[in-house]
Amino acid sequence: MAHPLEPRLAAYIATRIPHASDIAVSGLERISGGASRETYRFMLSWIDAARPRHRKLILRRDPPASLIDTDRRVEFEAYRAFRNTSVPVPDMLWLEESPAALDHPFFIAEEITGFQAGPAALFTSPDTVLHRVAEHKWTILGDIARADPTSLTSIVPTPALDQCWHRELGHWEALIDRDADQPLPITRAALRWLRTNPPPPAQRLSIVHGDYRTGNFLYDAQGEIQGVLDWEMAHLGDPLEDLGWSLQPVWTFGRQGLAGGLCPPAHAIAIWERASGLTADPAALHWWTLFNCIKGQGIWVGSAAAFNSGGNRAPIMIYPAWWLINAQERAMLQLMGRL
Amino acid sequence: MTPPVPAVLAELAALAIRNAAPGIPDGERANALGLTASLLAIAAETWDAAAHHLVEENQAIRALIGETGDDPDLRISALQRENNRLRDALIALHTRAEADGDEPLQVRIWAELVASTERRRLSTAPV
Repeated sequence: MAHPLEPRLAAYIATRIPHASDIAVSGLERISGGASRETYRFMLSWIDAARPRHRKLILRRDPPASLIDTDRRVEFEAYRAFRNTSVPVPDMLWLEESPAALDHPFFIAEEITGFQAGPAALFTSPDTVLHRVAEHKWTILGDIARADPTSLTSIVPTPALDQCWHRELGHWEALIDRDADQPLPITRAALRWLRTNPPPPAQRLSIVHGDYRTGNFLYDAQGEIQGVLDWEMAHLGDPLEDLGWSLQPVWTFGRQGLAGGLCPPAHAIAIWERASGLTADPAALHWWTLFNCIKGQGIWVGSAAAFNSGGNRAPIMIYPAWWLINAQERAMLQLMGRL
Repeated sequence: MTPPVPAVLAELAALAIRNAAPGIPDGERANALGLTASLLAIAAETWDAAAHHLVEENQAIRALIGETGDDPDLRISALQRENNRLRDALIALHTRAEADGDEPLQVRIWAELVASTERRRLSTAPV
């Protein structure tokens, strides 16, 4: 049975490639592509200059209520900023911010096929592959940190270097205040410490991916990263923010002592410093890593709130809250030297 | 635990009925089944000790904030409401202890906070 979105999607695409004919969408199915957007893969077929064409594409559509509420234009432009650079990203095709065509805003992109993203499968790989993934992972993050941020300055706020921390901490604290339906004493203690001990100003203003972790990139059997995904939290800020997220304890996936479940943190930091040309001051990086525990908690309590409010009853909204709210508090205890 | 277990189980029951219908794409059905299985496993792991842990924690926090009493209503929803009240009071006490430089009290509070995460810890948790 054809998915009911197929004819509507084909009608929309026909308006974007008016020179083509016989446009058809087939094989549309929802895939697990994170909880902040509904992600579908499909095959697009069309006739162009009397020749049949086919292309595998991805549809990312806003859900009724999201785990994180983000601007799909920023996500779309962040991908585009890194097209044809050392940071591998899929080709972004069309952005539609009106809900008219498919009930919610969406964008359509190339599907990068033939590679895996899941951490569980990655951790069964030989050590040589894990080492290569680690090397490539933090090299790419360094490349993101040193990239020219001007491609995003017209669509996202540009904080002063000494205000990057303040802006991010305020944003995520406000979301926790809004969404947490149970008191979080450890999270509150971490918030007090972060406000009392702010980090130094950012070394430079960078594009911050916002969710750069194991599980959000596609890798091949040799350990080469073929696609960096999930840019929906991209913004401008302190490049140590992304490094701190990548070192967040919950992203060890239980492989304690290994950043991202891949390598010792000191090794990851050294790779990043080499690639970015920047310095990861230990005290500043500690602040940003603890901050990222707050950010994580903001996301997990937000997912619970989206479910509890009835805005989105999908199981993917439950799992992060059940699995990670307490783990996130334990990560804070670790970083504050209490565990 | 949030969202509450009864609301989640009701939602999973409805999801199972929807996925039993014909015409659901294989990939979507597989995703739903996988997540459902993971959530049911967590509910199973936490069910037996849920009330015990809340009573234990409520008693521990009452001792820290200088309250007496117990939990007359042992339904998990009632225990959770009382736990929320007590943990709010604990946050206030912790904030005052930091402002006053009361190190011994801070040590006792941190010990309880560590214990609270042990009570809630899942076997599959990453930390």
